[in-house]
Amino acid sequence: MDPASSGIQEPFDLIRLSLSERVFVKLRGDRELTGVLHAYDGHMNLILSDVEETIVIVEHADGVPEGQATVNVAKRKVDMLFVRGDGVILVSPPSRT
Amino acid sequence: MDSLIPFTTSGSLVDCVDRKMLVVLRDGRKLQGVLRSYDQFANLVLEDTVERIYYRDFFAEAWKGLFLIRGENVVLLGEVDLDKEDDVPLRQVPWEELLPYHRQEIAAKKKREEVKAQVLFEQKGFCKEGGEGDGY
Amino acid sequence: MLIFSVFKTLTDQKVTVELKNDLSITGVLKSVDQFLNIRLDKIEVFDEARHPHMMAVKNCFIRGSVVRYVQLPAEHVDTQLLEDATRREAAAQGKR
Repeated sequence: MDPASSGIQEPFDLIRLSLSERVFVKLRGDRELTGVLHAYDGHMNLILSDVEETIVIVEHADGVPEGQATVNVAKRKVDMLFVRGDGVILVSPPSRT
Repeated sequence: MDSLIPFTTSGSLVDCVDRKMLVVLRDGRKLQGVLRSYDQFANLVLEDTVERIYYRDFFAEAWKGLFLIRGENVVLLGEVDLDKEDDVPLRQVPWEELLPYHRQEIAAKKKREEVKAQVLFEQKGFCKEGGEGDGY
Repeated sequence: MLIFSVFKTLTDQKVTVELKNDLSITGVLKSVDQFLNIRLDKIEVFDEARHPHMMAVKNCFIRGSVVRYVQLPAEHVDTQLLEDATRREAAAQGKR
C-alpha cells in the first residue's frame, strides 16, 4: 500500500492532486489568484506560473455616503510567482461557471 | 563551506554591522541608526537612532538614542547609501511642524481602510478581518 | 526546505518582492535564509514617491513574514523538477 496514492486522507492531499493543474487561490487583503500550481509546502507557501491576480478596489470619494462607494477589480498577470503561505485563505480547482 | 555562509540570517546581516541603516517597523515608523548588533531572530541594536517622518516633499527628524528592537516588529532593513542620501530631493523641517500633518495622513489612511472594509462587508459579503494592528 | 532550496538556486537573479503593505521592490536576490528572509541588492522601488524613506537605500534585508509575493524569473524555474520535488517532499513527510 503506497501512502502516496492511497487517495485523499487529509486536506493537503487534495492540493497534491492539483499539482500542474490550474488552481484558484483566495488571499487575505481582498485578492484572488488563478495559476498553475507547481509547488507547495506545509506552510501553504505556493509557487504558481501563468498567474492572473484579481484585486478588489473600493473607490470612495470623501463626502459620499459609504453605500454609494463603487467596488472595482484590477487584474494583473505574472509569469512565475511565489506566494507566502500566511496570506493564503484557500486553494481550490478553478470554479466551473 | 564558504558557499553556505550567505544562507543564514546572520550571513545576510553581517556586512551591515557598524553601518547606518534604515529600519522600517510594523507600526509604520522609520528609524535610522547605526546597526551595532543582531541575532538570528533579526532582533537589532541600533545606536544614535533618529526617527523620521515624511509628508509630501518634507521630512523631519527626532533623535531617539539607543534602541533594542524585537525582530518580529521589523519589516525591512535598508542600507543607506551616503552618496544617494545627498541627492534626495526632500526638505528638512522641524519635527513639531511636520508632526500634525504626518498624524493627519495616518488617520486618513486608517479611515480609508475602515471604510473599505465596511463597503466590502456590505456589498460583497467580505468578512472584516480586523487587521493585526500593522500600520506599515 | 523546498521553497528555501528554490530560492537558493535563484541567487543573483532579478526578482520583485511585494510586501504586504503593497510596497514593491525589484532587486538582485543576494541571499535567503530558512525563514525566507530575503536580501536584495541594487534595489529599485516601485512608486518611490509614495515611499520616500527608501530613496537613499541601495540594498536591503526584508523579513520573510512581511512578504506577500515574490515574482520569479520564469526561465530559471524548472516546473517539472519543482512538481517532482513537491511530490517527494509530500510523500516523505507522510503528511503534506
